[in-house]
Amino acid sequence: MRLINILSIIIILFSCKKEDVSQNSLPDFLSNGTVVLCEGLFQQNNSSLSWIDNNSMSVNNNLFVQKSGRNLGDTGNDIKKYGSKIYIVVNFSSTIEVVDAKTFSPIKQILMQNSGLSKQPRNIEFFEGNAYVTCFDGFVDVIDTSSLSVIQRIPVGLNPEDLSISGDKLYVSNSGGLSLPSMDSTISIIDLNTNTEIKKLTVGLNPGRCVTDSEGDVYVISRGDYSNISSCLVKVNSNTNIVDSVFNLDITGISKMNDMFLITYYDYVSGYSSLSVFDTFLDEVTNNLSIDLSNITTLYGVAYNSFTNTIFISDAMNFVNSGYVYEYTSNGSLISSYNVGLNPSKFHFYE
Amino acid sequence: MVKYHYILLFFITSRLFGQIDSIQNIDEINILSRITLSKHNLLERNEINIIQPTDIGDLLRKFPGTYLRSYGGLGGLKTVSMRGLGSNHSSIVVDGFQLHNSQTGQINLGQLIVDNVQSVNSTVGLNSNFLLPISTQIAGNNFIINTMENSFSIDTLTIRSNINYGSFEQYKGYLGVKYNPNKFFISSFFSKQNSVGNYRYSIVNGINQNSRIRKNNKYSDFNFGISSGLKIFNGTWKIGYQHKSIDQELPGAVILYNETADETLQTVSDRLFTDFKYEIGKLFIRSFINGSIENQRYYDPTYLNNIGFIDYHYKNRSLNSGISFINYFDDWFLYGGLDYTFSDLLVNDITFAKPIRNFSSSMFGVKFNNHFFSFTTQLSGQYINELNQNGVAANNIFRVNPFISLKTRKISKKSQLDLWYRNSFRMPSFNELYYNNIGNVDLLPENANQTNLDFLFVDEMKNISFDFKTAIYFNQIKNKILAIPTKNLFIWSFQNIGRVNVFGGEIQINTNYYFSNNFNITLMSNYTYQKSIDVTNSDSPTYLNQIAYTPEHMFNFDLTLNYKENGLRISNYFISKRYSLNENIISNYLNPIFLMDLSVFKKLNIRKSQNLRFIFNVKNILNTSYAYIRSYTMPGINFSINISYAFN
Repeated sequence: MRLINILSIIIILFSCKKEDVSQNSLPDFLSNGTVVLCEGLFQQNNSSLSWIDNNSMSVNNNLFVQKSGRNLGDTGNDIKKYGSKIYIVVNFSSTIEVVDAKTFSPIKQILMQNSGLSKQPRNIEFFEGNAYVTCFDGFVDVIDTSSLSVIQRIPVGLNPEDLSISGDKLYVSNSGGLSLPSMDSTISIIDLNTNTEIKKLTVGLNPGRCVTDSEGDVYVISRGDYSNISSCLVKVNSNTNIVDSVFNLDITGISKMNDMFLITYYDYVSGYSSLSVFDTFLDEVTNNLSIDLSNITTLYGVAYNSFTNTIFISDAMNFVNSGYVYEYTSNGSLISSYNVGLNPSKFHFYE
Repeated sequence: MVKYHYILLFFITSRLFGQIDSIQNIDEINILSRITLSKHNLLERNEINIIQPTDIGDLLRKFPGTYLRSYGGLGGLKTVSMRGLGSNHSSIVVDGFQLHNSQTGQINLGQLIVDNVQSVNSTVGLNSNFLLPISTQIAGNNFIINTMENSFSIDTLTIRSNINYGSFEQYKGYLGVKYNPNKFFISSFFSKQNSVGNYRYSIVNGINQNSRIRKNNKYSDFNFGISSGLKIFNGTWKIGYQHKSIDQELPGAVILYNETADETLQTVSDRLFTDFKYEIGKLFIRSFINGSIENQRYYDPTYLNNIGFIDYHYKNRSLNSGISFINYFDDWFLYGGLDYTFSDLLVNDITFAKPIRNFSSSMFGVKFNNHFFSFTTQLSGQYINELNQNGVAANNIFRVNPFISLKTRKISKKSQLDLWYRNSFRMPSFNELYYNNIGNVDLLPENANQTNLDFLFVDEMKNISFDFKTAIYFNQIKNKILAIPTKNLFIWSFQNIGRVNVFGGEIQINTNYYFSNNFNITLMSNYTYQKSIDVTNSDSPTYLNQIAYTPEHMFNFDLTLNYKENGLRISNYFISKRYSLNENIISNYLNPIFLMDLSVFKKLNIRKSQNLRFIFNVKNILNTSYAYIRSYTMPGINFSINISYAFN
């Protein structure tokens, strides 16, 4: 008995308490703030959501756990709102978390598995009551946003990454990223009236981010092979469904800013970052942003907040240290910065 | 004086040669042997049997300064890092032969057979076995394993066997036989193991604790070996062959909400080894050849690439040969030698390199003794030539590394002070240099400087023997090899970017108290304090943070009660909080681990030379939920029943 007591004392002495990290409290109803999706790291189950409160200019890095009582999972990849719900796509956990947009209370966790195998969902878009989710197993899943269940699987190309809607068509980038160096080069064009693929269009090696401009044209990043074949931006005419133009740009990300695109580039070898504006009317880089990126270690995500007319930039640091989010005015002045979770990549803004 | 040194040498070489000869009962020997062979950093067969380790890794974690990295499951990857140096700095030596794996640079301790192990010890600083391969003697640290089958013994016939049944439907059997007349021995062993392996674990998810079954965990292995030894001329010649085949499923990391896992790994390895040890006057020489071929097949039947699966075949070959010697004079020893290792890797993936490595090591050392101290210094040179038949090869490397040690001989007859410094390095593995997009052929070796001061005290009184050792050390690791994303988040590459300082201290207390002839109690305990901090970049958020997976406190406390031939052993193991990444923040926090194992054993003597031993072992009796590596959760409470038979 004495021995057990001694052991217990030793354990207590050495069992240092977890650091007491104070987290700012969360409101019952989210407003005037930003949800930041932090991907976390593969196999660490540490994807997270941060809540930036514009009023107090403070951050809470535990939004999902505090609202749902459980972890988000492994490698969160996308977050979007549709109707009264927010959908969070979690890649390696192979789930889609559906939460109430106002309260962030959990509504349903959709398990994205097929015959016991994970579908590895990547990104999500919405059209007339349905959600469309790219799944790395070669399908776009159609989810009824009322029943929150998968109602159809549309076969596309290899490892579909991103998707964008123009009119009644869905454009899906088939990356083939898991077959490096023999990656895919196509996008699948899906008729949303019939939910069938009507065309595969070759756009360039390793298609990734896919965005539709205000005129309905679809822009796809061809990411190349990360060595000999460099990246470019490909414009697809959504009326003719053919490649309209190819812009040889160093580009890793696009985000919409009103009628313009914010274009980001991060060179993984040199550490060089750039942020510029692409004018979708003129189809050229206008470079009229004067944001100082010298304090950014790894430019990883960018988004424009139309409610506050500000630009959010995420810094993934070295990918294994917690990241930062910087908020700038549209003319490039730093407003504030926030220490968030690992690998912050996407944003959802609240009015 | 001469006699004394001869005795010392005799003592050392008798251990080296593995021959059990009668040692004269001279006080000096006893003192020396007690100092040299005090129980610190040593586990022998009887204890190993009682501990019922799952594998070698289970044993090594009992030594101070060692931190086990286990991915769980039978045969799952297990490595041990010593005093903050990565596992690639350790050499694993079995019966005097170093095990090699140039592909990963580390030996999976989970795949080494444990049933035939006679003793395991860890060494840092000077390795007193000067006839080990030179590359072992100059490594950062060593784990030395001796088995029953590969040594001469006193008895003409030795038999060891055991059968084991354990949780998760684990069945295991082993039989080893050695025939050893006066001039030669021949031995052989077989072992077979099967396990379904799907164990229950629990994992914290937010504010909840979820209990699950870890699946895709089947494991089966088969080991076979045959050895022979012959006393010829003034020495011994030994030759042996060992075969291992393993079929295992890979459960992978526990991913929340996603329990799909279907990868498998098959391993077949064959090893042939021979050595010749001989004595010419005051010169003792050992020459050896050790060749191995390991074939591995990694299969992922549902990988989402263009062919729908991954089926990689790896063939890692190595041939290691060398010569080492020790020559003694009155107050001096000269020792040294050289060895050479050829290794290559063949992979069916056309994007992988076809690397070949020629690694030569040479070393020359001097040891000076007098009544008060012994002084040892050695200088080693290593040259590594890299070739790649399928692309660019890494640069050739030439390094010179020193070692120096000053050890007191007689503060008293019972105590000893040892101060030493070692400079060493470890080569990047083939995976780190060449693995598709991950490898980096420009990598430099990872350097380590170790400085140590330790104090040993050994005493024996009427009813009690006492063995105390304490050490403080400071290690520096430069050019630490770390993986970071270099092309995108999913394509990482190895870089030399880290610097780590390690400040550590250890205390070991081993004692044996006899209440009566029939009743005694044995304590084996150690405590390690280790501050391993990142000093790479003062602007980094991880500057001066404890590096990932390195606890500050580690504690072993094993208590054995022996009454006649029966007994009880309680093993306690504690490691303090760790972080899964270098940044010491709450989201990277990993809970401390406290494990308690219990063994009850009974020995039945059958005549004079035979015995049966029954052991009931419960591991993790407190059903602690724990993980050495984040997302690789370990089993809860589990048990095993073991019956072993020994003849001599």
